[in-house]
Amino acid sequence: MIGVLSYLIFFLILALTFGIAVMGLNLQWGFTGLFNAGVAGFLAVGGYTHAILTGPARDAVFGGFELPFIVGLLGAMVAAGVVAIIVGLVTLRLRDEYLAVATFGIAVSIQLVAVNWEYMTGGTLGLIGIPNPSKVLADGPLRQNAIYLALVVGVTLLAYIGLQRIVQSPWGRVLKAIREDEVAASSLGKNPTRVRLEAFTLGCSLMGLSGALYVGFIGFVGATDFLPIITFQIWTMLIVGGSGNMKGAILGAMIVWGVWTGSGFAISKVVAPEWQAQSGALQAVLIGLILVLTLLMRPKGMIGEDVTVSRHATDL
Amino acid sequence: MILQHTADGILSGAIIGLGAIGLSFTMKILRFANFSHSELLTWGAYFGLIFISVATAMGGFGGTFGPLSFGWPLILALVFAAVATSLLALLLHHLIFERLAKVTGHMTMVFASFGVALLLRNAVLLIFGADPIYYSNTLQFAVKLPGNVRVLPDQVFLLGLTIVVVIALHLFLTRSRTGIAMRATAESPDLARVSGVNVNNVVRWVWVIGASGAAVAGVLYGLTVQLRPELGFALILPLFAAAILGGAGSLYGAVLGGLIVGLSENLSVMIIPTTYKPAVPFLLILAILYFRPQGLFGEKS
Amino acid sequence: MTGLIKGCALALAATICIAGGANAQDCPVKLGAILPVSGPMGQVGERISNTGAFAVKLFNEAGGVKGCPVEYVLRDTQGQSAIGVDAAKSLVDLEGVAALIGAVSSGVSLPVLTSVAVPSKVVQVSCCSSSESFTALAEEGKTEGYWFRTYATNRSQSAMGAKLAIDSGFKKTAVIYVNTDFGVGLAKRFEDDIAKLGGTITSSVAYNESQQSYRAEVTKALEGEPDSLFLVAFPVDGATITREWLALGGTDNLIVNNSLRSDDYIQAVGAQYLTNLVGYDSAQPRVASVDTFNELFEAEFDGPPDGPGLHSVFDAVNVVLLAMEQSDEITGDNIREGIRAVTADGGTEVYPGVEGIQRAKELIAAGEAIRYVGATGALQFDANGDVQAPKMTWKLDGETNVETGYMSTEEVAELIKMLDAN
Repeated sequence: MIGVLSYLIFFLILALTFGIAVMGLNLQWGFTGLFNAGVAGFLAVGGYTHAILTGPARDAVFGGFELPFIVGLLGAMVAAGVVAIIVGLVTLRLRDEYLAVATFGIAVSIQLVAVNWEYMTGGTLGLIGIPNPSKVLADGPLRQNAIYLALVVGVTLLAYIGLQRIVQSPWGRVLKAIREDEVAASSLGKNPTRVRLEAFTLGCSLMGLSGALYVGFIGFVGATDFLPIITFQIWTMLIVGGSGNMKGAILGAMIVWGVWTGSGFAISKVVAPEWQAQSGALQAVLIGLILVLTLLMRPKGMIGEDVTVSRHATDL
Repeated sequence: MILQHTADGILSGAIIGLGAIGLSFTMKILRFANFSHSELLTWGAYFGLIFISVATAMGGFGGTFGPLSFGWPLILALVFAAVATSLLALLLHHLIFERLAKVTGHMTMVFASFGVALLLRNAVLLIFGADPIYYSNTLQFAVKLPGNVRVLPDQVFLLGLTIVVVIALHLFLTRSRTGIAMRATAESPDLARVSGVNVNNVVRWVWVIGASGAAVAGVLYGLTVQLRPELGFALILPLFAAAILGGAGSLYGAVLGGLIVGLSENLSVMIIPTTYKPAVPFLLILAILYFRPQGLFGEKS
Repeated sequence: MTGLIKGCALALAATICIAGGANAQDCPVKLGAILPVSGPMGQVGERISNTGAFAVKLFNEAGGVKGCPVEYVLRDTQGQSAIGVDAAKSLVDLEGVAALIGAVSSGVSLPVLTSVAVPSKVVQVSCCSSSESFTALAEEGKTEGYWFRTYATNRSQSAMGAKLAIDSGFKKTAVIYVNTDFGVGLAKRFEDDIAKLGGTITSSVAYNESQQSYRAEVTKALEGEPDSLFLVAFPVDGATITREWLALGGTDNLIVNNSLRSDDYIQAVGAQYLTNLVGYDSAQPRVASVDTFNELFEAEFDGPPDGPGLHSVFDAVNVVLLAMEQSDEITGDNIREGIRAVTADGGTEVYPGVEGIQRAKELIAAGEAIRYVGATGALQFDANGDVQAPKMTWKLDGETNVETGYMSTEEVAELIKMLDAN
């Protein structure tokens, strides 16, 4: 039973860590209608920033400042936010598709930088030995992981409550107004480009936070950690859980990560090792199908959008 | 070396341009960025492979053309691949995109195209396996041109065929009823509908033309490189860069955009490390979006 | 929030149901494998995995571990670190494995090592990860001895490449290398080594994996009219690069790294174009155990064991299983000690194959020390879990590759010492 508990804790750490990125994406897509196809890139920025700030000093590589864990998390959010502002300034005033293409491009480019800029990222060797705060606080992997899980749950709750407040605030209603009808919103004196940029930046910093939590947990960051398929996995989590709803975002992360790992587990039980190469492709097809079918049959996901009505709506 | 890089750039640009035509029309007329478009190149290349394998098994049709590495089977394979890929695209349209268009916004379709791309790519993997395949295992040696530039005879053919396809498409768009209806729909779908244009029909033609262009580009690409399930996936950014550079919906824009992308990628290695080359299309996208978001040939909306 | 709680409850229930009974430690004994059987490395990973499974099968035919059949539990990493880490964790926690075989890429092996193997006190033996980061981690004491690899590190490879170039009389060599920890490390060392031996480098060009065409890279490498090319690549991309290199007028004086000694590469390029190719590879020492493995492999798979990681994964599985046999109780700590015990000098030599393993089991039962000599010869793990291996050089004769030279571990060490000295 210890094994099951231990794995469950591990599973929840990863699922919730992804869940934070999904919430960031939800702010962008579910609430503002911004299509970010470069989630992997922002995760990477967060992960590397965290590693540079908190990791041990190394020869010939920048960083290794050995700063506290929390500084790493905050720094990751800031760095991802800065990158988001740069991309957003160029693309947010344009047609939606261009944002999709540009963010897809930035993720590819960030990965190239991660592989090639040795001085900053350790290049193909990556950065090793990133400290995990739970290792200092307790002995044994089970207790350490439980502490890290508590930390991730705490961060998730903070992000959840914070986002709920934000989307129910007047600013949050402006987001939805822009998503539904940009012209009407701007005629009411709202500056859509500015609000969209703010939402985009905030969402990307949450992705940076998620990347930092992942790297802090694993203790290593390398250029192959943030492949384009991660973007797809995060998106599927959002769509399955239901965009426009923060609870759905977390639930989606659990379900999709559960399906992904669960199917890997099932395949290893059922399929003979020599046939598993094909089943890897089948697994990807399975996720693709879940996604397309969800879009077709249940476009609102598991949990639909929260109906947020202003307290003053009845006054009108 | 600059001449060699230029020659290489034009040749790879021609393929990107051909592939981008369909993407450009999809962005303009169907109004969504289709991330699964590049997978149609992959499928086109593999459809070509099926035809060539069958033809070879039946003894082929005569030998190869002069210095080229292929003969009639490849020409017929181009046609077969175009037809088969068009049918595949129409199937996707019918099963997924048409239905989605009715229930959701166009950005959801962008995301659905992500899922479709994953499905198509892994279907290739399941059917044909991961091992790379060549149309012909014979190695073609480059011919030396003045200026110490080396090109493969196949590549010259490829460039010529691209020009033929573009001229044919130009005639189709300006002379045929369907072509004119397509252009009208691209300008203003509502106006076109009111003027009696069958928009559903136009949409199907967009898929057919886009898929055919992608299939031809895929087969031609397969002629000089090996076939792999990731063939198209690796081209997503160059294709988008070409379509956006040229301006959505512009035939010549897409082709010219392709050439610019191909040239930039190849010439870039003279100033930046080769490992950063895949970022070049992205930088082009950012630059064009910043300075001229409607593209080189697009009109300001 | 109720939705969330329900989700957790469901996940918990499902996990427990699936895992029911997984705690039975005794029989069968489980050996975990985390390998990329799909994804970009799928082609390589699948052959490695099948060879690992084959080693387990032979061990079972010899009676298994402590009278129990061994179950080979494979999990696909898809070449992704997050998936690989999860797979490893699930193997350790839910399947109760005490040792992991894998992964292939260092980018997956490293996070598995730091976040699963070391904290859970489970031994990890990789067939293929070549990154120098592992040696660095081990020197810092962060692997706690749970890390081993049966794949020889890069250092000797660059030395062999440089020696081949000089011995073949080449003066100006171009380098094209894969942009991974493996390729970057090797290419850098090669530049130093060849300079010391009196050759020159015309250009050194990195390439990103899985592109369709490498024309730009090849054109760049052609600058300076090199008389030879040192290619550091894996079979698929390597074939593309070689074809484009030759087609664009590059010399056919090719020097290739170990992973290109594979039929996939030779057939894809076409053997008729590779008459001047020379290469090196980790050699199997001149001992009977290697021939035994080769024969066993041929009989099972209808082809020679050419390709990256096949010999090394076979030995990885065998040393782990022998270490288990050696242990009183199958735990990570015991396996860690056991691997050192079954490869230590002075024991009675035992070889792969059903009879060899049976003999090993008899000796262990009798309380005698054994020394496993396997598909890569007599493994000698140093304090960091690294091994050295002898080298061979080869060329093509028609379609088949033939050996042209052989350097023992000592000779390789001497060459490296000479290169590092001045």
